[in-house]
Amino acid sequence: MGYGNYKDPFAGLAPAYTVGAGERLDLTFVVLPGESRDIDVAVDLVGEGAEVNLRGLYLTGGDERVNFRVLMHHRAPGCVSRQLFNGIAGGSSRVTFEGRIVVAPDAQKTEAYQENHNILLSDQAHVETTPQLEIYADDVKCSHGATIGRLDGDALFYMRTRGIPEDEAKVLQMLSFLAPVIPAGRENEVEQAVRAL
Amino acid sequence: MDNLLEIKNLHARIGDKEILRGIDLSIGRGEIHAVMGPNGAGKSTLNAVLTGRPDYEVTEGTVLYDGKDLLAMSPEERSWAGLFLSFQYPVEIPGVTITAFMKAAVQARRKAQGLPEMKTPDFLRLLKEKMAFVQMKPEFAKREVNVGFSGGEKKRNEIFQMALLDPTLSILDETDSGLDVDALKIVADGVNALRSPEKSAIIITHYQKLLEYVQPDVVHVLKDGRIVRTGGRALIDAIEKDGFDQF
Repeated sequence: MGYGNYKDPFAGLAPAYTVGAGERLDLTFVVLPGESRDIDVAVDLVGEGAEVNLRGLYLTGGDERVNFRVLMHHRAPGCVSRQLFNGIAGGSSRVTFEGRIVVAPDAQKTEAYQENHNILLSDQAHVETTPQLEIYADDVKCSHGATIGRLDGDALFYMRTRGIPEDEAKVLQMLSFLAPVIPAGRENEVEQAVRAL
Repeated sequence: MDNLLEIKNLHARIGDKEILRGIDLSIGRGEIHAVMGPNGAGKSTLNAVLTGRPDYEVTEGTVLYDGKDLLAMSPEERSWAGLFLSFQYPVEIPGVTITAFMKAAVQARRKAQGLPEMKTPDFLRLLKEKMAFVQMKPEFAKREVNVGFSGGEKKRNEIFQMALLDPTLSILDETDSGLDVDALKIVADGVNALRSPEKSAIIITHYQKLLEYVQPDVVHVLKDGRIVRTGGRALIDAIEKDGFDQF
């Protein structure tokens, strides 16, 4: 009624992870250039004190398509979820990020955070990000944030005046942007991929 | 002997606005020049053009640095050739520590000069020595570049970088703005310590303060995009007394 052709992007998304009382789930998603992917993640926090940490890193080039759907459902009180997804889109690639946090009426004292940050490397690259919060409890701490930007020209110039070549300055800036989401042990692999973007 | 920097009839604009309207300026080796002028005179544009900032267009004139066409060089090539700019507003680089930043700078220059990489212990020794020289606390080595720094700490970081990169020509852009006297002395000590028969500096400013601690050999007045007067230290006193309207 009144939503026209609105189609809930999360319709039919079944929970892939169920996290119970006192349990903790840490997940990192890494998408490196060379493939198109649809990544669906749905997490149910069903027991008091459950904790979830999701991180995502994606680098896209060419005409790749990467789509994330992330649904974080807080069904029990006192749970914590943190999400951080950082990605860089080049070429004529397209990225969509749809993230939703749902806090059920019984899930008091919930802490839920979601952030999605993006850098566009070219005029042809395209990113759409839609973080959403649905909160049915009143005693919660929740936030979400999304940014889409470009490499910082002032910082690049500053680095170049110190003798750091432009390409290297860009790599430094991209790696520092990705640093919070690079899984331990995969630094070299990510650096190689960034250099090849 | 040829001059280190030779600017002839330099015109530059940003967008449709012509800001430099025929600058002539010669800097000899070993000399410190002050370029003073009111707001809007073209001081920042002069410095932007000399360091190769994108968005500024040179429409006329030439700049020779050490006999080479400076305007044909990229900002990083200018740095490798010994040019250094101390920024009026140093830029924050989140996620990059001062150590990583300066290491990248030093190694890039060595690579450009065909030298092998500096070994890490040697680099760290150099870093430590230069930080001590500008009285920068050792913990700053691990801080992200300029992130959360006070105005004085940012300027100190600029002078630290200058000391470490040991430039042939330093350009200090309004380096004395927003500095307390102690920080001002650090900047001045840094500039004075780099004085040598081969090294030169340009201090671009509209304040007299820094010039009490660094004695310029030549003083220029920049107004409406041109050098309208060149003289000795007496010019500083004249500006202090009667401002820029007299020119």
